[in-house]
Amino acid sequence: MSIAVRSSWLRPERKTRKLLVRWLVALLVPVLVFNFAWTGEGIVNNVFLGLFAPKLTNYNYTLSNSIQGGLFILVFYAVITALAGYLTAADSGRRSNIEIWVGILFAVVVPLLLVIITGDLLIGFSLFAIVWGLYVVGRRYVLKVLHYTPPIALEHVETLDEEGQQRLLDRARSAGFWFATIFALITLVGDIIFFALGSLPTILLALVVARTIIFPLAGYFLGWLGGKMALRHALTTSTQAPINGAGAANARRWWVRGRKEQLEHLSSARAQEEAKDLVPNDTPLQSKGAWPFYLVLLGGFILFYPVLDAMLFGSGTNGRLSGYANLGYYIILALGLNVVVGFAGLLDLGYVAFFVIGTYSWAMIGSGQFTHLTQIVVNPQIWSWMFWPMLIIAALIAAAWGILLGAPTLRLRGDYLAIVTLGFGEIIPPFFLNLDKYTNGTNGIVGIYPPATPCIQGVFCVQWSSFNATPFYYLILALIVLCVFVNVRLRDSRLGRAWVAIREDEIAASSSGINLVNTKLFAFAAGAFFSGIAGVYHAAKLGTVAPSDFNPTDSFVYLSMVVIGGLGSIPGVIVGGVVVYALNEFILARLDTIAASPGNILYVIEHTIPNFTFGNVRNLLFGIILISIMLFRPEGLIPSARRRRELHHKKEDDIVELDALDEPVGAETLEAEMQVE
Amino acid sequence: MVTYVNLLIVGLSLGAIYALIALGYTMVYGIIELINFAHGDIFMVGTFITIALMSALGITANHPPTAITWLLVGKLALVCVGAFLLCAVLGIVIERIAYRPLRNAPRLAPLISAIGVSLVLQDSAKLWMGNAQISFPNIPTPVITLGVFEIDTVDIFVVLAALVLMICLQILITRTRMGRAMRAVAQDREAASLMGINVNGIIAFTFFIGAGLAGAAGFIYALKFPNTQFTLGFNLGLVAFTCAVLGGIGDVVGAMVGGFIVGVIQSFIAAIPASVLPHSGNAWQYAIIFALLILILVFRPSGLFGQQTPDKV
Repeated sequence: MSIAVRSSWLRPERKTRKLLVRWLVALLVPVLVFNFAWTGEGIVNNVFLGLFAPKLTNYNYTLSNSIQGGLFILVFYAVITALAGYLTAADSGRRSNIEIWVGILFAVVVPLLLVIITGDLLIGFSLFAIVWGLYVVGRRYVLKVLHYTPPIALEHVETLDEEGQQRLLDRARSAGFWFATIFALITLVGDIIFFALGSLPTILLALVVARTIIFPLAGYFLGWLGGKMALRHALTTSTQAPINGAGAANARRWWVRGRKEQLEHLSSARAQEEAKDLVPNDTPLQSKGAWPFYLVLLGGFILFYPVLDAMLFGSGTNGRLSGYANLGYYIILALGLNVVVGFAGLLDLGYVAFFVIGTYSWAMIGSGQFTHLTQIVVNPQIWSWMFWPMLIIAALIAAAWGILLGAPTLRLRGDYLAIVTLGFGEIIPPFFLNLDKYTNGTNGIVGIYPPATPCIQGVFCVQWSSFNATPFYYLILALIVLCVFVNVRLRDSRLGRAWVAIREDEIAASSSGINLVNTKLFAFAAGAFFSGIAGVYHAAKLGTVAPSDFNPTDSFVYLSMVVIGGLGSIPGVIVGGVVVYALNEFILARLDTIAASPGNILYVIEHTIPNFTFGNVRNLLFGIILISIMLFRPEGLIPSARRRRELHHKKEDDIVELDALDEPVGAETLEAEMQVE
Repeated sequence: MVTYVNLLIVGLSLGAIYALIALGYTMVYGIIELINFAHGDIFMVGTFITIALMSALGITANHPPTAITWLLVGKLALVCVGAFLLCAVLGIVIERIAYRPLRNAPRLAPLISAIGVSLVLQDSAKLWMGNAQISFPNIPTPVITLGVFEIDTVDIFVVLAALVLMICLQILITRTRMGRAMRAVAQDREAASLMGINVNGIIAFTFFIGAGLAGAAGFIYALKFPNTQFTLGFNLGLVAFTCAVLGGIGDVVGAMVGGFIVGVIQSFIAAIPASVLPHSGNAWQYAIIFALLILILVFRPSGLFGQQTPDKV
């Protein structure tokens, strides 16, 4: 019996074979598209050449570039292989192949192709967003027409015993092994063809041979890793209480019960949510267990992006990186506003005021203006080091202003609060415009120092200038990670829960002992803190600052980031920031340049409607998007779990559990809902 | 002394325009407790409509009329009515599309929707007539001289027209059935519907009147001021909201009084010389008015005429 189980990874049983086919196809297609239609293969080849034969590479390779590229590629293929293992293990087999394949097609292959075609990440993703919207609508319609009801996860949750767990691991191992083998074979065939055509240097043969041998072996172990990840979320006998022997006494003590029985006693809505994550489940792509894989992939991509950009998109890296660095501080602003509007429910329409304060803090101190104001002459090289403490100091200054500007609003209800903050957003920028003596008025402040880093000649010296956006990119990445961490800790703290309480019902919150004044002021201060950080970064990156850069309408842009992404949800706000920024900076400008060439349909549109340029209608688009989101999806693109339950609670309430009311009150099994967290 | 009287007159006429816009804010807030961010932009669209209607009737900035004739007065009256009606219809459309589906949604949703509507209106106006400032045709109005004082009849007309409209509104609200229905819906929507009042219809009617008044304010603005721009509604709308709050939001008389007070204050601030404030009072007028708004909201949120209603749970 045990021998048959162990060798089953080489010759899988029928059910496993079906799953294997499904997931191998589902994963191979995108990976092959990335490899051959794009430059996945090219990256691997160039990394290898960069490490061992630098003169033969296409790009200007340095050792560090090659190492970074190599790391990314390793991580990429390792994660995908492990993912193959996980998905095969976590799949219960009840969903149809077509559903999964069409889902993968639209979720992975289409954006990949769009990015390849448009040659630009953000524009590709924006087009993908439209396509995805159409797909979701279309799918709902098709499913309604076919009268298809997806299987309810709760009904099919199984408990795995020892044999079941072993089977799961075998499944995962075979999936990893076969995925790696097939992929290695395909790339082997492809490389042989390229060699025959003479387009590859012969030194790469070493790579090809090594890969064909190593990859399947690695696949076996990576698949096992994926299986282990799947087991972590499974309902196994070890998580179940001993069923025999305890009897009625144990049945009353809920904490002895097994997880499955716990699930049965939750409300149907919560139980369905929890059951979705249990292996084997019906939606392995969306389950919590798959997210570590996606996050590692995404993290690796973002971390190594400056190196990858040249490999993936060719020239123009610096401009793109600069754009993404700007996107970064928009994200920090969105995160800050999310604290005020999303967590605490205080509609702040004057957020740009705090941003201006943060920007001018560094502008006035970290430039010639400082000497102008205080008559102290400082050495720019040394004074640049002030950037780092100023990040915190300016954030604190902005927080102090947050308290100042928030104080008058404490007794006001939502609508008045919005107007007052709007007023502040109007008042503060003119201050900086009109107080010439301190802020140099309309001319603005120029020559703001960039950050300073230790410079050891020949080993590690970072050039901070407008021609080299890479250090700024990494700086903003670090800042974003820091801000997200702070946000998550805030949200999960007592203060964060107090914010949620005052958002929902102020009077009930204050009756429960929450100090409304302190909580609200803290919300304003925390929100303004992040804008201070973003402001300092903005001043350092741009190098010049002028009051005309800041409009009261910018507050609406920040608000739409938060609203579109999902009020109060941190990943949502990040996505919302990306969407809004892409719309703002890239898409409309791109459409304008496309429309400039005659013969294009866009050209016709631009010239029939008077005064029409795509840049002009930016606010129109934002307005329509805001209204549509409020009407059709008020919880935003990626809502926080709480919000989704709030706003769609009605649908789930309709599912009545049969027999729920048949049990007499006081029966052993009738208990109140309990936390299974 | 002369300058002070002039400033007062200018302030009163400005205040009349503010009062008309503030009425729209106050009525909408009174009835559905929503601050209509788009209201200032409806006013701005009113000014654009005025320009369009005037040029349709032959009065343009390039060929301004040379004398006041009865024909001209008739045309202007037509333009005024047209601006009123078109803006009123715009108001109803906005309410139907952007506010009615959200009537039971959490508080934040209609506010954000209103912001969206404001952005849409601004950009639509930009598409219609461009980014730049657009001049109004200059209507030559006689100037009356009373001894040392010179009063432009435009100012008198503006104040009178505003007063007439406001008195009509007050009569509508206090003495007609529709007005009583509006007050009932503002007080308690459910009870009003139990009494047989068509709540949706009344709310639509409120928007009709409010937006119409903004349109009329746009026409009056066109008579007095030289030009308009698509960003006009933003600032003026905020100032008008200050007037509504000063008078007590939800109270019609309060909005009128608040409008005049703020208008006079603004005109005096704008005249502060550069020796007192850097860049003279002109650059600071909006800042000071918003500061005034904040002071009111902190110290007397119910305004001059409003009642202090406690929050009921």
